[in-house]
Amino acid sequence: MKNKEVSMDRIKEYLSSKLWLSVVIAIIVLCVVFSILSPAFLQWSNFQAVLVQSSITGIMAVGLCFVIMTGGIDISIGAILLLSATVFAYTVNGTESFMLAFLASLSTATLAGVLNGVLVYYFKMAPMITTLATYNIYNGIALHISKTENVPIDRGYTFLGNGRIANIPVPLMILLAITLIGAYLLSHTRFGTFVRAVGDSQVSATESNLPTRRTIVSAYTLAGFTAGLAGVLLISRTAGLQNSLGVGTEFTCIAAVVLGGTALSGGSGSVVGSVFGAVFLILIDNGLNLLQASPFIYDAVRGIVLLAAVSVDRMSTARQAKTLLEQKALRIGSSIIKQVKKTAQA
Amino acid sequence: MSKQGDSPILSLRNLKKSFGPKTVVNDVSFDVYPGEIITLVGENGAGKSTLKNMLCGLLEPTAGEILIDGTVQKTIIPMEHGISAVHQELSLFPSLSVAANICISSLPGSKAKVDWKKAEQIAGEQLDFLGMDIDPKAKVASLGTGKQQIVEIAKALLHSDRLLILDEPTTSLTSPEREKLFTIMDMLREKGVAIIFISHFMDEVMRMGDKYIVLRDGFQVGTGAIKDIERLALEELMVGRSIGEMDKDIGTPRKEEAMRVENLASYDFTDISFSVKKGEILGLSGLIGAGRTEVVEAITGLRASEGTLFIDGKEINPISTKDVFNSKVAFVTEDRKVSGIFPNRSVRENISAADIKRFIERKIKGLGFRKEDDKTGDVVDEMNISIPHLESKITNLSGGNQQKVIIGRWLSTLPEIVILDEPTKGVDIGAKSDIHDAVAALARQGVAVILASSDLPELLHLSHRILVMRTGHVVGEFERKDFDSVKMISLAASSAHEE
Repeated sequence: MKNKEVSMDRIKEYLSSKLWLSVVIAIIVLCVVFSILSPAFLQWSNFQAVLVQSSITGIMAVGLCFVIMTGGIDISIGAILLLSATVFAYTVNGTESFMLAFLASLSTATLAGVLNGVLVYYFKMAPMITTLATYNIYNGIALHISKTENVPIDRGYTFLGNGRIANIPVPLMILLAITLIGAYLLSHTRFGTFVRAVGDSQVSATESNLPTRRTIVSAYTLAGFTAGLAGVLLISRTAGLQNSLGVGTEFTCIAAVVLGGTALSGGSGSVVGSVFGAVFLILIDNGLNLLQASPFIYDAVRGIVLLAAVSVDRMSTARQAKTLLEQKALRIGSSIIKQVKKTAQA
Repeated sequence: MSKQGDSPILSLRNLKKSFGPKTVVNDVSFDVYPGEIITLVGENGAGKSTLKNMLCGLLEPTAGEILIDGTVQKTIIPMEHGISAVHQELSLFPSLSVAANICISSLPGSKAKVDWKKAEQIAGEQLDFLGMDIDPKAKVASLGTGKQQIVEIAKALLHSDRLLILDEPTTSLTSPEREKLFTIMDMLREKGVAIIFISHFMDEVMRMGDKYIVLRDGFQVGTGAIKDIERLALEELMVGRSIGEMDKDIGTPRKEEAMRVENLASYDFTDISFSVKKGEILGLSGLIGAGRTEVVEAITGLRASEGTLFIDGKEINPISTKDVFNSKVAFVTEDRKVSGIFPNRSVRENISAADIKRFIERKIKGLGFRKEDDKTGDVVDEMNISIPHLESKITNLSGGNQQKVIIGRWLSTLPEIVILDEPTKGVDIGAKSDIHDAVAALARQGVAVILASSDLPELLHLSHRILVMRTGHVVGEFERKDFDSVKMISLAASSAHEE
């Protein structure tokens, strides 16, 4: 009997350590619901479409989750995506070199990330406002370059978005690679450890002599890089630059990261969870689409899901705070704890 | 157990620290030998933290010398000198594992690949050394406070194992956890580690210490071996100053009851029952963390609690801030900067804020601020506040004047019950005396006053009656004629584990 309890506790402990568990369950539930409502949902081609669509949000979410784990936020990633796509479109059309365009857009995006990190760290500005400002800057630069014109690119350069290797879509492979790299970075490198440490307490991190500055700047740089990569993938898929590219993705990505179990307050988080979060959100779009819901309702649904995700995050923080208070009450033998116990018994 | 043959690890010579004109640590000298536990005791504000921060290299001494192994040090780099400190606020990372926390400053393996096996092994050895069975893989967030403290000690000892400074390590521990900590301290002493043990709790000091250093108002007023001193004598040294000045005219309490609290309980305190009469000043005494602030916040409805509150014989249920303040209660909070002043506003606005209607006369409903200047000016005169102008920003005033503005703000609401939490914290002597006069005058006018303060002399000076609190309980009640500072300190500074 006692052994059984112990093993149950073990299982519970293991499961609660897997932050992405709830989003995986949510994905399964969603799949069941949609497959009942729409026969088209269960088709392999539909699944593939969902996964390919998720790869753009998923790749960005991996970078973003590091920023959120440091206790920050980056809402400029949607604009970095557009900027990167713009740079790609003009370089590839101008030089007809895929490699040059690829490198140019990724370096631009990475630099944009560095700038975010430097502003947040050195100027001690609130990440929300800082990246709101840089969002406008990057967006403005991109629109200034394109003059809001649509710029088609040659089909020959869209392998990253539409190509297949061994019949597996390339974007999916890139997503897989980025997820693995992200997961490795988080749990096996010093950087990953420091990211969580800084998110737990920047003061303690500084006192423990950790490279706080480098960690924060690197996290924003990573978010910039992944947004840039997503930008190249997206323009490769659409085979042309539109000025609406990437609008609102930052919010989908934040929602994905939070849904995946990363605490908005920083500290604990999960790379894999963030990717699952992205898949979940794309699934909702996909399901709504199959159910022929009005496309104008998508935003509202996304908003509601984000709200739900944030309140789940909030509730778990509140629960932790309450446990601490209760521990204290127990220590001093407060009568309110006795009452709690009594009601529990009754 | 101290090895007298050895030379001291650390020596302080006439150490002094001043902040501006205020000297917080004055002429402190002592030696620390390997394998001894030095207990550093003193009341709140005696200078213990400042001394600790100088030893940790966080503050630079104004004068005097710190010697390590006999050589004078210009700057203290704790790790280099084998000094480590466990502060009251733990500096762990809850999201990381125990192993990551212990090894965080020098993770084994390379940058690109942390050797977690090695880290777990190092952490395991460190915890074994302390005789603790904690899984190095466990997340720190999943550990109780006691185990977290041990992890913090393990982390500290990994780099610096000659002198360990423990600042109030037992305040949030349960009895068994505390015993465990003491076993570890004994073990470290055996192994030749020196410990500076800062504690409020006299029973712990008497039990664990080899030597004592008593600080009072920054001065080192007593030094010696614990075995040569009685607990009572040590407590007298801590309180020190003769508390003869109980000549303040605080009037006589009336018969009618102004406020009564029955069985108030919350997360931070329990079984709080008392009543205050009109014209009575009730002092709430206790160390930091005893629950004074929490109690006064609960009776003003700012903190959720259970229990019954009567004001003027009427029950207020539930205790809501609105109902309490409508019952002519005024509350001056502990933290002036956070919950007292409106920092960007003028003195005028800060005074009239609590009851603007009393300050203005309006010809047209909802418009105009006539007479506000005159009436706020009256408050300034009454409270003896020195300001250049009514429109000066309140943050340009000294702490004492800011506090007087806030007290003036609340007194202008003509309250019948006044609750003051640390009303003279961080104010100069002149303002302190003005505030004391104002409180005494209130009592003489028949206003009931609840005065929560960690400054015992202030309470002895002003109160008709004092309740002593400790870890959320009321542990003693004294009438003015029976005031006994040593007894009060002794009650407040026993750890809850003592009984």
